[in-house]
Amino acid sequence: MGGIAVQVDHVSKVFGDRYALDDVSLDVPEGAFLSIFGPNGAGKTTLLRILATLSRPTSGSVSIAGISCKDDPDAARDQIGMISHSSMLYADLSAEQNLLLYARLYGIDSAQERVDEMLEAVELSHRRLDVVRTFSRGMTQRLAIARALLHDPQVVLLDEPYSGLDPHAVEIFDSLLDSVREGRTFVMVSHDLRKGFEACTHALVLARGAKVAYAAKDDIDYQAFSALYRDTVGMGVS
Amino acid sequence: MPGVRTRKPSLFAHYKTLLAKDLQREFRTKDMLSSMAIYALLVLGVYGEAPSQTGRQFEIRQMSGGLLWALIVFTSLLGLNRSFSYEKENGCLEGILLVPLDRSVVFLAKATSNLVFLLAVEVVVLPLFSFFFLTTTNPAPTWPMMLLPLLVGTIGIAGIGTLLSTITVNTRGKDVMLAVLFIPLVFPLLYACASATTVVVAGGDIEGVFMNSVLLAVGYDLVMVLRSWVLSDFAVSA
Repeated sequence: MGGIAVQVDHVSKVFGDRYALDDVSLDVPEGAFLSIFGPNGAGKTTLLRILATLSRPTSGSVSIAGISCKDDPDAARDQIGMISHSSMLYADLSAEQNLLLYARLYGIDSAQERVDEMLEAVELSHRRLDVVRTFSRGMTQRLAIARALLHDPQVVLLDEPYSGLDPHAVEIFDSLLDSVREGRTFVMVSHDLRKGFEACTHALVLARGAKVAYAAKDDIDYQAFSALYRDTVGMGVS
Repeated sequence: MPGVRTRKPSLFAHYKTLLAKDLQREFRTKDMLSSMAIYALLVLGVYGEAPSQTGRQFEIRQMSGGLLWALIVFTSLLGLNRSFSYEKENGCLEGILLVPLDRSVVFLAKATSNLVFLLAVEVVVLPLFSFFFLTTTNPAPTWPMMLLPLLVGTIGIAGIGTLLSTITVNTRGKDVMLAVLFIPLVFPLLYACASATTVVVAGGDIEGVFMNSVLLAVGYDLVMVLRSWVLSDFAVSA
């Protein structure tokens, strides 16, 4: 503990002649929970996709757990788990088949035991043989957590994970996140200012691809922060 | 949560896991197989009916190569269109790309599963084609040799078709786009295989036309499948 889990160094991403990200730099300490806020088109998801190694920055560099995503993307990917509004689960495979697939791809020793353990942790053992297509949105999202944490990643990326969840499912999702929070660093993109701020230890506001504000929660006055956020959202997209 | 021990799997282990996933999914849903098989049977029905309305005697043996390959190409388009669509559903492809693996393995596994599905449909369609069009027309004794161009052609179609379906899956009007790119690109293969098939069914120069056509098809497969494999990293990651 005490190191930098996620390092973003002068990252820009250009689509055509439009800057989706414009010279963004930040360090996220180990064990932190960073919430990223901003209006639609601010570059939040672009930044998250770059952190996940799903997209390459046009310039600048990113390190995950001290590993350069450019120099050793595979080692960086070993440290990353991602939970998105898409479950990344095959709808026509069972819960168990989905987790076994990922466990084998990650090369987890005793894959079956690990899958059993994760299904137990997300309380889906009783539905292990059911195809994901038959799951409710909340159950699918719980299984997505199991998928993302299967290989015990140090950095967990969350892309609007509450999207489409009912209040009860949000409660379950939150308690599951709490139970796995220790020793991990979280980066979450959220449109929900209250929830995002509640969960975070650090907050980042993006607008038009640029960093507007980045600070530890302890240094932020919520009223001033929400006013800044409202002003930023009012800026719209580039 | 205790630490999880992982061991980086070999390329072959990743390939086997991804191939097993595709087969498992298709075994459960039978989506691709049933739609391709039904389509092929319907086309066979049309083939059987259309010439009978012309009021002339056709030398069906001379046309058999072309008819068979038209049937195979259009049936394969139906399957290829679907093969990567399943990966896009729920963001599954992104889930796979988050795993530290060689991305060309994703292509190889998908091309192999497409090959298996195409061959499975051919196993059903070919006896019916032979029954409807060859048993009544006294084909040349060399007609069982059509299995060779059939195998070589199907390998090429699966390889190139998989790459193109990877490229077109994110485009608007992907169904049309795949056909527009696929048919001109496989035309040399189609030409060689149709020639070889016609020669063995109608009787002709086995050592000359047949062998040259098969060699052309094999050469085409080697160059294009290898090129597809090399390009697949960019196509899958795009």
